[in-house]
Amino acid sequence: MDKHSQHHFLFGFSVALLLCIAALRSASTAAAEGPTAVVQQTADAVVAVLANKSLASAQKRAQIEQIVYAHFDFTTLSKLVLARNWKQLSPAQQHDFVEEFKRHLSVTYGRNVETYNNERAVITGDREESNGDWTVKTKILRPSAADILVDYRLRKQDSTWQVIDVIIEGVSLVANFRSQFQEILTSSSPDHLIELLREKNAKGEPLKS
Amino acid sequence: MTTMRPSRTTFLAIVLALLGLLCAPAGAADNQRSDGDPIEGFNRGMFWFNDQVDTYVLVPVATVWDKVMPNRVQRSLANFFDNLRFPIVTVNNLLQAKFKNAASDVGRFAVNTTVGVAGFFDPASDWGLEAHNEDFGQTLGYWGVPPGPYLVLPILGPSGVRDGAGLVPDGFMAVYPWFIDIVYTVSARAVDVVNTRSLYLKQVEEAKAASIDYYTAVRNAYIQRRKSLVNDGAAATKEESEDLYNIDKEVVE
Repeated sequence: MDKHSQHHFLFGFSVALLLCIAALRSASTAAAEGPTAVVQQTADAVVAVLANKSLASAQKRAQIEQIVYAHFDFTTLSKLVLARNWKQLSPAQQHDFVEEFKRHLSVTYGRNVETYNNERAVITGDREESNGDWTVKTKILRPSAADILVDYRLRKQDSTWQVIDVIIEGVSLVANFRSQFQEILTSSSPDHLIELLREKNAKGEPLKS
Repeated sequence: MTTMRPSRTTFLAIVLALLGLLCAPAGAADNQRSDGDPIEGFNRGMFWFNDQVDTYVLVPVATVWDKVMPNRVQRSLANFFDNLRFPIVTVNNLLQAKFKNAASDVGRFAVNTTVGVAGFFDPASDWGLEAHNEDFGQTLGYWGVPPGPYLVLPILGPSGVRDGAGLVPDGFMAVYPWFIDIVYTVSARAVDVVNTRSLYLKQVEEAKAASIDYYTAVRNAYIQRRKSLVNDGAAATKEESEDLYNIDKEVVE
């Protein structure tokens, strides 16, 4: 091994180790951490992956997916999004819906991995909501464009704080999807909705190899 | 996108039409928790028309523009046109009694017009004089005027009766219609529109991909965004918060 590739290897190894430690840390300490710490850790972990030039896009996406999946409560998110319609779904349909909706979010937001341009996230505040949820306010700083305000709503599930909504510049993801799914479900069946999501996911998978 | 340059009579006609709409079904739309859209048929037609114009005219032009123009130039042009919105933002801050923000806007305009070379650069933001997003629709909302029904305007896109009416006074306040020849005004507007669109090519594509029902997604995003702008990002009221997040009891049997 020449000196150059040795350097490369060492660098790669140390990054892997760091990520490993970060993942372990967030897994073991999340229970004790408050909502703000959870958002901070998640954002830091995601930015670390995005900024890691030694990873290919697909690897980045896979790692970010793992981080996000660990801190988002997709079942609650799905219930909130479907609201009253949730009960219309059979347990099997509910399961399918959660899976397809999760995949939809992953597919559509995973695209941004390729356009990462040194954005950073800073926490600007937090507050407790009347029902015990917490809202953590953040700002995405972009080097050559206006900041983007992103709020996260978190709920405590089994002593862990998990994200149940993302509010971008005042637009709640839950409210936005609720309006869309409500529209679809007034004129068609839950099966049709799940099928629509499935089709969209199959079409939108950009990094399928 | 904002106004073209209609004549005064057109302005007047629009004002009257919009005021008429604002008086009538606004209350009814407010009762429903879902996004009120009493003229959905018209809106969907207009939305489709706008999308056609966007897809077949604006996007191809903006794509070429995006390829030809260095990103720095695109940003500078966007800064330049933002700077020209100074009277709109400042006057609407004054109308909402946000005097500190209005003072900051004046400082921002002064800095960016001089140090920022006629507004092509934005040193003011680095100096803590941040840009504000204000317009007459927000001013009306600030003083309690309800948004009224959702309204998709031709070419201008998603709006509402209140916000659509607000475009009229804002149009009068725009810097360039008043003392520049119409040819330059129209050309400047064209450059503004194409340049702005060129900066959002990816975002719009993503929004289309991310939505299951694009029309509803845009309508809901518009309504939420405007509400947030009117109350300057204040937390949702207890009722709204409960409607959105406390449905577990009904949902879990």
